[in-house]
Amino acid sequence: MKSGAPEPVLLHMTAPTREDFDVPCHDLGPRGGPPQVALVAGVHGNELNGVFVLARLASFLRQVADGGRPGAELLGRVVVVPAVNVLGLNVRKRAWPFDGTDVNRMFPGYDGGETTQRIASAVLAATAQARWRIDIHSSNLDFEELPQVRLFEPSDEEREAARWLGLPAVIERPVTPLLTATLAYAWRQRGGRGLVVQAGHAGGLQPAHCERLFRALVDFLERAGLLVGVRLAEPEEDVHAFGPRQSFPLISEQAGWFASRLEVGQWVQAGEGIGYVYDGFHGDLVAEVRSPVSGLLSGIRRHPLLCEGDLVARVLIREEVSFLPDTYLMGHGQ
Amino acid sequence: MQIRQETFFTLALPYRERLALERAVFEGGEGPRLAVVSGIHGDELEGLYVCQRLAARLEELAKQRPEALLGSVELYPALNPLGLDTLERGVPIYEVDLNRCFPGHAEGLFPHRLADAAMRRLAGAALVIDIHASNVYLREIPQVRIARAFEGRLVPLARSMNLDLIWVHEASTVLEHTIAHSLNAAGTPCLVVEMGVGMRVTPAYAEQVTTGILHLARALGVLAGDLELEPADHAPLVADDGNVHYLNAETSGMFVPCVEHWIAVRRGDLLGRIVSPLQGQTLSEVRSPCDGVLFTLREYPLVYEGSLLARLMAAKR
Repeated sequence: MKSGAPEPVLLHMTAPTREDFDVPCHDLGPRGGPPQVALVAGVHGNELNGVFVLARLASFLRQVADGGRPGAELLGRVVVVPAVNVLGLNVRKRAWPFDGTDVNRMFPGYDGGETTQRIASAVLAATAQARWRIDIHSSNLDFEELPQVRLFEPSDEEREAARWLGLPAVIERPVTPLLTATLAYAWRQRGGRGLVVQAGHAGGLQPAHCERLFRALVDFLERAGLLVGVRLAEPEEDVHAFGPRQSFPLISEQAGWFASRLEVGQWVQAGEGIGYVYDGFHGDLVAEVRSPVSGLLSGIRRHPLLCEGDLVARVLIREEVSFLPDTYLMGHGQ
Repeated sequence: MQIRQETFFTLALPYRERLALERAVFEGGEGPRLAVVSGIHGDELEGLYVCQRLAARLEELAKQRPEALLGSVELYPALNPLGLDTLERGVPIYEVDLNRCFPGHAEGLFPHRLADAAMRRLAGAALVIDIHASNVYLREIPQVRIARAFEGRLVPLARSMNLDLIWVHEASTVLEHTIAHSLNAAGTPCLVVEMGVGMRVTPAYAEQVTTGILHLARALGVLAGDLELEPADHAPLVADDGNVHYLNAETSGMFVPCVEHWIAVRRGDLLGRIVSPLQGQTLSEVRSPCDGVLFTLREYPLVYEGSLLARLMAAKR
């Protein structure tokens, strides 16, 4: 149940013709001092898995904090921002709906600047001091990601903490110029430890990914020493770590319909079929897409309409490859 | 002089169609090559019209004095044709800004392939002019924006372009993915022109910039030095981040300006008001913070807190 006190807000704003609006957050656990953990989702308004999971997690942590779960205790302050782009979420847009600005290209923001710079600035102010910070994304409408942690030229502490989530893949990536305008990079510039999580695809909820993400966040809080007395499930399978050159994108040279029966999280062998491409108009089979490498299928195309140059799948491989141009490594849906 | 239109790159779309990038090439002698690019953002049309005006002038030249084209002129009016034809600023389907995808990659994702195709055609030009039209919210006087790193090479070129303003700015890292940065970093000079407003065409600005491009083409030796042109009578002011003031909305509502664009203002002058459609009183008065000239003015009336209303270049002391 929602408690009687009003939720704290990161930012209060007027709107041109509708009522004022807020970017609210949950401030849970013992007060005093900066938060131990800041959890953020919904920087993109159409990435729903993180928003749903953080809202559910806030409910769970509130129960724990209120003594509603005997034996369980929340020992540190946790700030939870389920949705940064509130208007985008409500009107089902990825970007800030008024001007189409991607909020995750506006960090670190500026409190006297454009609307989205002000939102970015407020999110950063509320989260930057936390010991641990996690920004949760859900790819885009086209592509499903296996729940995974993404690290950008991380510290050893971040590498270790990434494993606390127990998600099946931890992927390291280089810092690119595009990343410099994101929340993850703004956190990094202020020191401390930050993680990015990707799970599922935008525009809907994938319950299995949501459950896994929920468990991962509870595990994280437990291993960070902030939550005791909670045991949700058996430990997850092995966590696999992959470096910047161990991510192999399959990019289509054909257009048409793409269909696949595979699920993310499967291990595929070199030469194994990933899916089929059919001509958009004639319906003829154009190509069978096969993985040229063996590895973990960490992402697969879910939108059936395929253009030439579209990402079909991503396979995480055990060996480093040297031929991947940096453009392949640019953030996809983040 | 040879004139041809050609498709220089295509990508297959899911259902039968192909996305085609097209250009017009005016080939004269062996002299330098000038390229004009526009339509990277699908809601910016001013540059398309500049291309049309240039095509008209060059077609006329082909009839009157073809030997005056000593080099070549290439027009790339629509680098994001899917965005233009569907009234979307970014690349449709991907919701990405094409001007954050450069230099691109031939085997990369769809938007990166478009970027790479453009880069390959433009590399080695004596000059590339990338024309933008602000966005649908703000109106800009014809100006060139130059990143500080490229100031030495580009400001002298920009001075002869018949523009009203040259703005030398510090570049953020994220702008390293623009076409202009990518070309300049690769040694092909590229000037970024901002003019007018999104989704509209401002014919007077188009004529002014067309004249400027022809003058620059003549100065570069693309056109014969003795070719007579109409006078270029606009001399640019030069601004930098130290004397550009931003006016952001203090509250949400409707912004109604009470001054014309591109005028001199004094500190404290009333520039406009923010009002609510529900009440008669003014929510916020917008006044000039300095003596200067108003070079950006909001066109789209609805504003949120923080929306940009105007930019002024303060008079330097």
